[in-house]
This record gives sequence, structure tokens and C-alpha cells, in this order.
Amino acid sequence: MTTYATGRSLGLLVCTRCRATVRAIGDKRSLCPRCEAELFVRRPHSLSTTAALVITAAVLYIPANLLPVMSTHEILSDDDDTILSGVISLAHQGSWPIALLVFFASIVVPLLKLVALGDILFAIWRGRVRNPRQRSRLFRVVEFVGRWSMLDVFALSLLASLVQIQSLALVQVRPGAFAFAAVVVLTMLAAQSFDERLLWDAETDG
Amino acid sequence: MTISRVSSVIVCHACDLAHRLDSLAGNARVRCVRCRAELYRTNDRSPDNAIALAVTALALFVLANVYPLVAMTVNGSTRMTTLIGAAEAFYEQGYGILAVLVAFTAIIVPLVQILTLLYVLVPLRLGRVIRGQNLLFRMLTALRPWGLTEVFMLGAVVALVKLSAQAEVTPQVSLVAYGLLMISIAALTSATPSEQYWRWVAGQRDPGTAP
Repeated sequence: MTTYATGRSLGLLVCTRCRATVRAIGDKRSLCPRCEAELFVRRPHSLSTTAALVITAAVLYIPANLLPVMSTHEILSDDDDTILSGVISLAHQGSWPIALLVFFASIVVPLLKLVALGDILFAIWRGRVRNPRQRSRLFRVVEFVGRWSMLDVFALSLLASLVQIQSLALVQVRPGAFAFAAVVVLTMLAAQSFDERLLWDAETDG
Repeated sequence: MTISRVSSVIVCHACDLAHRLDSLAGNARVRCVRCRAELYRTNDRSPDNAIALAVTALALFVLANVYPLVAMTVNGSTRMTTLIGAAEAFYEQGYGILAVLVAFTAIIVPLVQILTLLYVLVPLRLGRVIRGQNLLFRMLTALRPWGLTEVFMLGAVVALVKLSAQAEVTPQVSLVAYGLLMISIAALTSATPSEQYWRWVAGQRDPGTAP
């Protein structure tokens, strides 16, 4: 197995904000000489923060998919709509590309994020990360596509503001929308609080 | 406690691998040899390009907020909505937090991005040091993931498609302006990579050694 020279083994830190490489001797709490952000060897409590956010998001994923996100009257039809039934009605309407897009952004992506982050956290928690390269690639995909799940929230905001007659709302926002938006925001925060270096520490230590 | 910057080694922020750095190229995109994370990116341009993009984005931002976004006609009566109207609808229905989320990601963050860059880059270009520029730029890097203009744009397309089955919907000036805003913010972000900003600052403090 190749041994790598890492920042940690050389006593060097990298600023997580401006990415300046810094030599810090002594106290661990210090500020970056370039951008004045706080420096740390590894993001403090990264694993527990990320885990807490992922678990909360996983719990909320259930109401986000089961509860209706909106109910419509008259103009569209008279119905409660969940995330999935919204996708189905788009498909019925014949808008296949849009239906697929919403299906991926709203259902597949949040699930992928939860599973991927859960897998990464579990592997680190057991202390054996067998293939950090694949897992870091997975993490970056998750981080990159995560924002697109907000798609349905924005679409809903426009529907709710357009479909009104004299300030009488015909598209009513329902609690599922809140749970859904919470899943998106919490998983984005989870990805941001995760310190990717934890994936690689096992490889260099071992 | 001693803290000093190291210029001969660059440590990967994503996997902690140390790389020897022989020279810093002026216009480069450097990746980690182990995990392929982007270590830094510079463009070797003056801030002028970014300032021009920020001014463009600001003008488009104003247009996107002043004009109506989408119009819907049902049975001869037309209803229009605006950008802020989309957030307002959540508020009116008792979902204040969702209203804040939409306003924050689709309107506030893009505006703060544009204004922060103007506030930081214009004095930099004029050779002045302003108070809090480092703090502001740090805030900007933290905010960037929360600017969701491109997602809002696609969300608008989804809403238009959903409604088009039952009503006549037409995009208005603001939607076009917002689409262009999305493009100019993307260009602005790629014109102001973090490493480039810190080089501009370094060049300003010590013009002789500007890379």
C-alpha cells in the first residue's frame, strides 16, 4: 500500500474557507492568516452533526412523500396531490420529460442523498472505508445534485400564487410541502457539514 | 502559537493529500492527484470583467423584480404574479418559513452575491482597502451554495407546464430577465474563484509581487 504525505503528517492545515495551506504550531484554535476564518485539523463534530441532520431528514422523508403537498380545486381538478401524484399527473398530461425531471429531482435525489450519506457515515463509524475514491465521488454527486430538489418547492410557490381568484386560493399548500422542503434543506446542510477528509483518514492511517 | 502561510506545499481540502507546488500558474485549474478535487482555479484577469458582470446582473435583478413573472388567463380573466409574489403566496397560506426559504434562495442570496462582489471588487480595482472585505468574501463563499436561481428557473418551467393543460399561461418580462440573471450569476461565479480573489487582494497589498 502506498503511503501518502498528508497535511496531518506534515503538520500542515488547510483553511476550509479560502483553502490556503498553513503551518500552525501550538494551539489548535487559530485563525487563517489570509482570510481570518477559524482553522481546524478536521471540522469539529462533523460526523455527529452530519449524522443528526441525515437522521432528521430520513424521518421527515416519510411525511414528505405520504402527506399531500397541495390540494387543488376547480381549475386543475379537485384533488389532494402528493409529490408522487404530482409526477403521475404530469405524465398523464403527456409531459414525459418534465415528469421524469420532477421524479428524479423530488423523489430519487433525496432518497439517493439519504442512502449515500448514510452509507458514508456508517463506513466511517465502523472505521473501515474500503474504497474512499468511489465514496468521495458519490459524495460529490450528492452535493452537486442536492439543490435541484428545491424544484418542486419553487413550482408550488408559483402555482399557489397564480391559481387564485380574487385572493381566494384554489391551490392550497399542505403540510407535506413543509416536510419536503425540510428534507431538502436538512440534506443540503448535512452535505455541507461533512468533512470529506474523514473518508481518507482511514486509508492513510492504515 | 505560530501560524504562517506555506507557499511550497498545497494540501487538498478534500482528502488532506500534500502536493509540492513548484510554481503558481496565472491561469490554471489544479486538481488533487488522489481525489480529483479542484485545489484552486485562477483566471489571471483583472477584476474589471467580474465588475462588468456584477453590474449586468444587478440591472437584470431589478428588471426581474419590477415586472410580472408569469400571466395566466382562464375564462377571459388574467392573473399575473411577480417574483416576490411567489414567496408571498406561501406566507399568505400560513407557511411563513417556506416563504422565507423561497425569498432567501431565489431573491436575497443572488442579490447579496452581486452587491457583496461590487462592494469588495470596486474598491479593490481603485486600489483602496475597505473594512471587512475579508469577512464579506468569506460570507460570500459560504452563501454560494444557497443561491438557487437555476433551480427556480426550472421550477417556473415545471409550473408553466402543469398549468398549460388547464389555462393559457404566458411568460412575462421578468421570467426572461430572471433567465438572463441566472446566466450572468453563473458567469460571475466562475469569474471570481476564491483563489483569484485572494490574489487580487495580495497584489493590492504588495503590487511588486503580484502573480
